[in-house]
Amino acid sequence: MRPNHVLLFIAACLLCLGLLCILLPHRVEVGTRTLRWPTLGEVFGNQESGVRSQDSEIFLDSLSDADSPESMDTLVAERAKPEIPRVSVDSVTDSRVFLGAFYASLAESGQKVVRVVHYGDSQIEEDRMSQQIREALQNRYGGQGCGLMPLAQTIPNKTVKQQLRMNNRPVQPAQGPRRYLVYGPKHDQRSDGRYGVMGQVAMMNDSLVRGSEELTAICTPLIPTAQYRRWRVFADTSIHYSFAGDTVRLSGHGAVYGLSQESETGVIVDNIPMRGCLGLVFTKMDRGQLERFYREQNVKLIIMQFGGNAIPFNENPGTISGIVKGLRQQVQYIRECAPDASILFIGPSDMARQVDGEWESYPMIPYMDRLLRKMALEEQIAYFSLFRWMGGSGSMLRWREIGLAGEDGVHFYRGGARKAGNAVGEWILEGITE
Amino acid sequence: MTTFWQNILGFNADSPLLFTQFYFWAFFALVFTLFALIMEAIPDRLGNRKLHLRNIYLLFVSWFFYYKTSGLFLLILAFVTLSDWLIAQRIKANNGRQMAKVWLCLSVAIDLGLLAYFKYAYFFTNMINNLLGTGFRVFDIFAYIGNGFAQAGRFSVDTIVLPVGISFYMFQVISYTADVFRGRIQPVKNILDFGFYVSFFPQLVAGPIVRAEEFIPQLYKPYHLSRRYFGLAIFWILNGLAKKIIMSDYLAVNLIDRVFDNPLLFSGFENLFALFAYSLQVYADFSGYTDIAIGVALLMGFYLPMNFNSPYKSQSPQEFWRRWHMSLGRWLKTYLYIPLGGNRKIGFGTYFWISLIALVSAALTGWWVWILVPTGALIVGIIVWDKVLQRSCLTGEAVEKRKLLYSNLNSFITQVLGGLWHGASWNFIIWGGINGIGMIVEKIWREMGWHLRFAAMTLLTTGLCLADYWTQLPVWRLFAVWAAIVWIGTAVRYVYFLRQGADTRWTKALSSAWAVLQTFTFITFTRLFFRSSSNLDPATANKVAWETAKNMVNQIGGAWNNQIIPAFVWEYRWVVAMFVLGMVIHWVPTNWKRRYRLAFSAMPLWLMVGAVCLAILVIYQFVSAEMQPFIYFQF
Repeated sequence: MRPNHVLLFIAACLLCLGLLCILLPHRVEVGTRTLRWPTLGEVFGNQESGVRSQDSEIFLDSLSDADSPESMDTLVAERAKPEIPRVSVDSVTDSRVFLGAFYASLAESGQKVVRVVHYGDSQIEEDRMSQQIREALQNRYGGQGCGLMPLAQTIPNKTVKQQLRMNNRPVQPAQGPRRYLVYGPKHDQRSDGRYGVMGQVAMMNDSLVRGSEELTAICTPLIPTAQYRRWRVFADTSIHYSFAGDTVRLSGHGAVYGLSQESETGVIVDNIPMRGCLGLVFTKMDRGQLERFYREQNVKLIIMQFGGNAIPFNENPGTISGIVKGLRQQVQYIRECAPDASILFIGPSDMARQVDGEWESYPMIPYMDRLLRKMALEEQIAYFSLFRWMGGSGSMLRWREIGLAGEDGVHFYRGGARKAGNAVGEWILEGITE
Repeated sequence: MTTFWQNILGFNADSPLLFTQFYFWAFFALVFTLFALIMEAIPDRLGNRKLHLRNIYLLFVSWFFYYKTSGLFLLILAFVTLSDWLIAQRIKANNGRQMAKVWLCLSVAIDLGLLAYFKYAYFFTNMINNLLGTGFRVFDIFAYIGNGFAQAGRFSVDTIVLPVGISFYMFQVISYTADVFRGRIQPVKNILDFGFYVSFFPQLVAGPIVRAEEFIPQLYKPYHLSRRYFGLAIFWILNGLAKKIIMSDYLAVNLIDRVFDNPLLFSGFENLFALFAYSLQVYADFSGYTDIAIGVALLMGFYLPMNFNSPYKSQSPQEFWRRWHMSLGRWLKTYLYIPLGGNRKIGFGTYFWISLIALVSAALTGWWVWILVPTGALIVGIIVWDKVLQRSCLTGEAVEKRKLLYSNLNSFITQVLGGLWHGASWNFIIWGGINGIGMIVEKIWREMGWHLRFAAMTLLTTGLCLADYWTQLPVWRLFAVWAAIVWIGTAVRYVYFLRQGADTRWTKALSSAWAVLQTFTFITFTRLFFRSSSNLDPATANKVAWETAKNMVNQIGGAWNNQIIPAFVWEYRWVVAMFVLGMVIHWVPTNWKRRYRLAFSAMPLWLMVGAVCLAILVIYQFVSAEMQPFIYFQF
C-alpha cells in the first residue's frame, strides 16, 4: 500500500461517515432503546460540545446572593424550559424567620439538651453534612456527642466506629439483631409502624440473640478533635441507651430504636440517613412514638433533606409536582408530631447524567427546587436550596472536576459534603438575631 | 466550523486530543494528507533527504500534538530531547572510559530528577511532613521562573501539574542513553531524528514504551506497508476504539465509578462484581489506547511493539507480567532487574533498595520496630544463606536455590518500583509489593511437592478460618473464603495425584482453567490498590484510595447479601452482559483471534470501509447510551 492509497481509504471512510450523518435519522426508537447518530452540525462543533452546563459559576461564599429576588428571576428566565411549568415563589421572605422556635430554644442549651434531628437520603450517610452542622451549633452553644445511631451500624459512620459483640465475641452487623426499616423493601417493613424516631428498629427477640445471650455495642469516637474530646468517656462503655438514660449491656428480648452518645446539656444533632428514600415515609411511622420522642428529647429543629432520589427516574413535571405534594404531607405530619419544633427543608443538590456521551445536569432539578421552596414558604418552614447554593445547573460537573463530588454525578465526596454541611451550619447561625 | 478548527488547532487544557474523539481523527486525516504528499511528491531518488523531511514533518506534528495535550510542557520534552542527545554524543566520544559512565549517570539523574520533580513532589513532601511533623508545601520553581521570578503571575506556584506522558518519554530517553552506553546502538546524528523518536505522537502519551534499539533503525527505512499490515492497522484501530469505549467507558460510567466512589452504598456482591469489572476496564482502557497507537503508527509505516497479550489468560502472576504492559515489563527487566543482578547476583543495589523501601515504609507508617527489625533480620538472613549456598555451590541444587533467591529479591524490588512508576502514592507501592509477593509465592509453590502443597494450604485455610471466627473482621472473612476455595482446588488435585491419575487433555485443560481463574482473581484483588482519583490532590487521593480499598474489603467480607444478586443481575443486565462478553472475547483462543484478524485484513477495501462505518455506528451507540439509573439494592 502506498501512502496515497491509505489516504484514499481514510477519505472514503470519512466521506461515508459524513453521508451517514446526513442520511441517517438523529434518533431511532428500537423497542425500549434509542439508537442515535450525530448530525454534521454536532460533529463539526456547531452545537455545544463537552460538558453541557447552563450555569457553571459557583457562588460558594454567600447564599444571600443566590437568595436575592434578582437571581431568582434570572434563574427562572434562564432555566425554565417550555414544557416545564413556571413556578412563582415569594422570593423576598428570608425563610429563616421560620426557625424562630429553634433559635429561641438555644437560650436553654446551657441547662438542658436542645435536639436537632437531621433526616436525609444517601447524601448524608456516614454522618456527612450533619457533622458540620453539629460542629457549628456545638461550637457556639455547647454540647458533645454524635447523637443517635442504630443498634447495629450497617453503614459505617465516619464520626463513631461501632463494634458489635455477642457473648463477648465480635459479630458483623448483618449477623446482629433483625432490622426493620421504614424506607426498606417490603420484607424489611413492619405493619405497626413502630420504627422509632430513626425509622429503623432492631428486634432483639428476632435475632440470633436469644435468652441468655448478651449483645454489646462498643462505640468509639473517630474524631480526636478538641470538639469531641469529651467523647472519650464513652469509649470503653458498652451501650448508652438514649431513653433509658444509662449505660447498659443488652440481653433478652425487646425492640431497640437506637443508641446515643451525648452530653446532658447543649445541642445534640442526630444524623439519620435513609438510603434511597424519597422522604415520603414519615406518615408510615407511629405518631405516638414520634410525638413522645420529640417531646421528651426536646427536639427543636427537624431537618429534612430529600428530593434527590426523585430526580433520576422522573422527567415529567406532573410526577415531580406529585412528589412535592407528598413531601408537603410529610412536613405537615412531622409538624403535628413536633408542634414546638422548627422545620428546615434542604432541597436536592445539582445532579448530573450522561446524555449522548456528554454530561449534563438533570433538567428537573430547578423545577423541583422551586416547587420545594414554594411548598416550604406556604408551610412556613425554612428552606435551604442546596442546588442554588452549589451554583445551579451544571455545578455538579464543576464539583466533580475540582474533586468535591464523585464520578457518579450524584454524591458528594467527603470534601464536598464538608463544604455543604458548613454552608448549612453557617446559614442557620447567621439567621440568629441577638 | 470555527469551533471545529479551534478544537483541532487551539490549545485548551480541558480538551486534549484523545484517540476517542472525532477531533483526533480529523487531525490525523490532515496530518496524513501532508504525510502522503511528502511521500508521494518527493522522488525516491532523494533517498535519505526524503526520509529526513518525513521525520522532521512528523517531529513537528508530534510536538504540535503534545502542545495540544500539555501546552508549555512541550519545553520539558524539548529539553530532555536536547540534553539526552548531547549526552549520548559525549558517551560515544568517551567510549569505554570512566567518563562515559559519568555522562550516563548525569543523563539518568536529569531524567529521573525531572520525573521525580513533576510526578513525585507531593509524595516526597508528604513523606517528609509525616516523618518530621513539618508542614512543607510544594513550590513550583518552573512556575516561579515563568512568572519572571515572582510568586504571582500567569502560573500558579502552589501546584505542580504532571505533564502528560512524562513517565513514558522519560523511560524512552533513558533507554536511549543506556543503549548507547552499552554499545547496542549508535548515537543518532541528527537531533531532529532523535526528537522524532522521543516524541512520535501515537505513543507519546500512553505508550507503548519504545526502546531506542527497536525504533531508531526505522527512522532510516523507507515507507513500507503491506496490504495485510494495512488491514491489521485498521483492525487494531477499531479494536482499540471498541475496547476503550464499549468495554472500558461503558462499564466505568454505569457501574464501576459509582461503586468505587461510594463502596458503602453497595452490597458485598456488587463491590466484588465492580472489582472484577474494574480489572476488565483497566485492561480495555489501557490496551485499547495502545492498540490504536499501534494501528495509527502502522499506517505511517512505523512498527510499535505489542503491549498486551491477553494478560488475563495467564496461569501465574509471573506469566501475567510477561503479557501485561509488555513494553514496560521489558524496560524494567532490561534497565532495572538485570542491572540489579537478575538471577545472577545480589549486590549493593538490591540491599540499597530493600533498605530504602523498608525505611520509607517505616517512616510513613510509624512502625519503625515492626518494619526495620524484620528487614534487618531478612538482610542478615539473606547474607548468611547466600554465604552458605556459596560454599555448597558445587551441587546443582544449590546453584538453582541461589538463582531463585536472587531472582525473587530482584524481581520483588522491580515490582515495587514498577508500582511506584504507575503512580506517586502508597497504594501503587502496595500494589507493586503485592504483585511481587504473588510472584515469589507462586515460584515457591511451583517448587513444592503435592504433600507439602496440600499441608500448607490446609494450614493456611485453617488459620484464616480461625482468624475469621475469632475476630469477625471482614478482611479475614474475605481471605478465609478465598483460601477455602483454593483449598478445594488443591484438595481435588491432591486426591487425583494420590490416585496417580494420568494427565489427560481434559485434566490439563481443567488445570489450566483453574490456574487462569486463580491468577485473574489474584490480579483483580491487587486492583483494589490500583485506582486513584485524578480529580483530587495527591495527598487526598492517597487517603481516598486507601479508604476505598478498606471499604470495599469491608463490604465484600462483611455485607454480602445473596438475596439481591438476581435483582442486581437483572437491573444491570447490560453492564453484566458487557462484562461477560468482554471476558469471553478475552479468553477466546489466540489462534481464533489470529484467524479473524487475518480475515479482516484480507477483506476487499470497499468492504473494509463498510466495516469501519458499521463499527463506528455501533461504538457511537455506547458513547450516547443512556446511563444506567442509580438503584439501591441494600438498605
